[in-house]
Amino acid sequence: MPSLFVFRGQDQGVRFELDEDALGLGRDPSNPIQIHDNEVSRRHAEIRRNNSIFTLADLGSSNGTFINGRKLSPRERHTLASGDEVQLGSTLMLFTGSEDEEDLNLSDKINIIHGKDSGDHSRIIRAMKQEEGSQILMGDPGNSASPWLARARSNLQVMYRTALAVSHTLDIDQLLNRIMQLIFEWVEADRGCMMLLNPESGVLEPKVRRTRKGLSEDKISISKTILDYVLEHNEGVLTSDARDDQRWNPAASILQMGICEAICAPMQGRYGVVGVIYIDTSISPQRIVQQGSATKFTEEHLKLMIAIAHQAALAVEDTRYYSAMVQSERLAAMGQTIATLSHHIKNILQGIRGGSFLIKEGLSRHDEGMVGKGWEFVEKNQERISSLVMDMLTFSKEREPELVPADLNSVAADVVELMNVRAVERGVELVLVPEGHLPLLTFDPEAMHRAVLNVVSNAIDACDRETMNREVEPEEEEDDFLDDGNETREIEPAIVQASQTPLEPRVGHVEVRVEYAPAEGMVRVAVHDNGCGIPAGEIDHVFSLFVSHKGGRGTGLGLPVSQKILKEHGGRIVVTSEPGKGSCFTLELPALLPEAAPQHTLSGQKIEG
Amino acid sequence: MVPQRSVLIVDSLEETREVLRTALEERGLRIYAASQAEKGLALARKHHPDVIVLDLDFARTSGDDSTGDEISSGFSAESQARATPLVVLGSARRGQSSLPSGEFVSKPYHYAPLIRKIEELLDQARQPARKAS
Repeated sequence: MPSLFVFRGQDQGVRFELDEDALGLGRDPSNPIQIHDNEVSRRHAEIRRNNSIFTLADLGSSNGTFINGRKLSPRERHTLASGDEVQLGSTLMLFTGSEDEEDLNLSDKINIIHGKDSGDHSRIIRAMKQEEGSQILMGDPGNSASPWLARARSNLQVMYRTALAVSHTLDIDQLLNRIMQLIFEWVEADRGCMMLLNPESGVLEPKVRRTRKGLSEDKISISKTILDYVLEHNEGVLTSDARDDQRWNPAASILQMGICEAICAPMQGRYGVVGVIYIDTSISPQRIVQQGSATKFTEEHLKLMIAIAHQAALAVEDTRYYSAMVQSERLAAMGQTIATLSHHIKNILQGIRGGSFLIKEGLSRHDEGMVGKGWEFVEKNQERISSLVMDMLTFSKEREPELVPADLNSVAADVVELMNVRAVERGVELVLVPEGHLPLLTFDPEAMHRAVLNVVSNAIDACDRETMNREVEPEEEEDDFLDDGNETREIEPAIVQASQTPLEPRVGHVEVRVEYAPAEGMVRVAVHDNGCGIPAGEIDHVFSLFVSHKGGRGTGLGLPVSQKILKEHGGRIVVTSEPGKGSCFTLELPALLPEAAPQHTLSGQKIEG
Repeated sequence: MVPQRSVLIVDSLEETREVLRTALEERGLRIYAASQAEKGLALARKHHPDVIVLDLDFARTSGDDSTGDEISSGFSAESQARATPLVVLGSARRGQSSLPSGEFVSKPYHYAPLIRKIEELLDQARQPARKAS
């Protein structure tokens, strides 16, 4: 899939897949390729696709569009080639065209030959260690190097950055493919392949192969002797199958067949050799005659290949290490998740057992009231399990919101109606303030319902009767009253809200307000509670998975789920709080009017690095 | 005149408080209940119940770690001072906490056995008093 990869700028790491015939680039959110950069115009440039050809044109932007450092002229349409650097403002992107379809099983296309079976007479002309080869990256860009080398070197920097950056998002095979592509663009090789050492077996396995267009796809035969040499000495080698004396003074005999030169470089990483890169080229008789010599690859080519192989190895190591690390982090997180979930499920089970016990007792004593109470408990816990499961599902999947034109006011109203019973039970006033001038907007109503619900539920818990200490369970108070009426005050805990006296009860109050801000292109649902607030240091942790601050009541999934849903919509949740006074959770998302919204913009194309 | 015996229940789960209250009041016991650990401790200090039922997990996560420990050691002290049996409900390992005179009931539990256990403890506590008189 052709794509634009951002390797410098605020969107660094993002890869835009180019799967439409026309794609706009710019700062405005309506662009499929939205670039967060102040130096980029709202509608800056456009990429068009015709069959498989991609072209780029500037749309009259303020700062211009640059391709490989050159500014596009006003009406120019540049045909994009793999490896092109596209610059808008301070954002740099790399274009890659369609990848060749590579066979996964390359073993019948690449041959490692032993001895001189197939008549391969290649000999090592020049061997070089990695340090010497990598020098090519260090030296002064301008001096004595050929222009070809200077450009190759700067491109290598790009490749290095790209390779490392993409190693976080792509798997090894795609990474290697990309590197091979770039090699072919700089070096006039005819064929090439990359082989990686299998960490367990220690055997070289072909991973990528490439042949220049127009050439036959014969098997590539590589002498084992040379491979062994490369791996053992950790040196890059340049080989030729012409005898020394004949390379510089071609004799008639070789003019018929042409010469094959090859470079084989070890992929030396931080910890060891991870594989080899091999490229070869044939020098035709015609060329030999023209040049008067039978050589093509120079020492500079060898140096460059060694340097590339080194960077490729680092990238491969990063990918492997990274995946191993991600794997182990995932396992750890999973362990924690399972432990926390089982804690919550145990509590729910306990609740169900409680309800069942009361039902049984009630039935045996013919006490309907007790049965009723028991049943209430069972039902409540069913709801809890259901919520927990829904939240778990929502959290675990990579979801695309189902975008339809919908009314955010009714979503909020539904939530308020649903939560009203619970609010009343808990002694909380729940109020809805809908937005007066709210058009139909594009979002996923079911998902937003869930997002708002979780936040409102959290708000109710934050300021319900118990939390506010206005009234502890009636029986408790009664008991104390019987004992010693004056001591009611004593039993309230030491933590008293700074803004109130112990006697003054605070009624929990939750307000759900819908706000439309067309000037900003945003719509918001602000949920305000007058609960005990969140200390400054803890606000960041509010969305952490499974850290529940409700004394064991919440599952800890609610808020992270809400945040995930808002992110899927290209929005976010902002939290402000004043300990002792209350908190405000604002769900904010882009206000997309139904006609203007492209089908897939919100989360479909972007892959965050 | 035997003073009415009492049980203190400190648990965040409404179901637990309700079930135990229902079952135990029916057996002539007076119930104190708290949904917050600190309040529970205050009630314990004030009313000196005959048995304390404490959800340990809850007590520990009630505040930050230090408060949690303070609370469990508060209950522990209370329990030791008056030889009040402590029934601890929890998922934690028994050895973790500093609660000595305790019966440990691991979650999830069934209510009938728990109620029997509470009654047992009440009877045991009563025995010495009878003997004395």
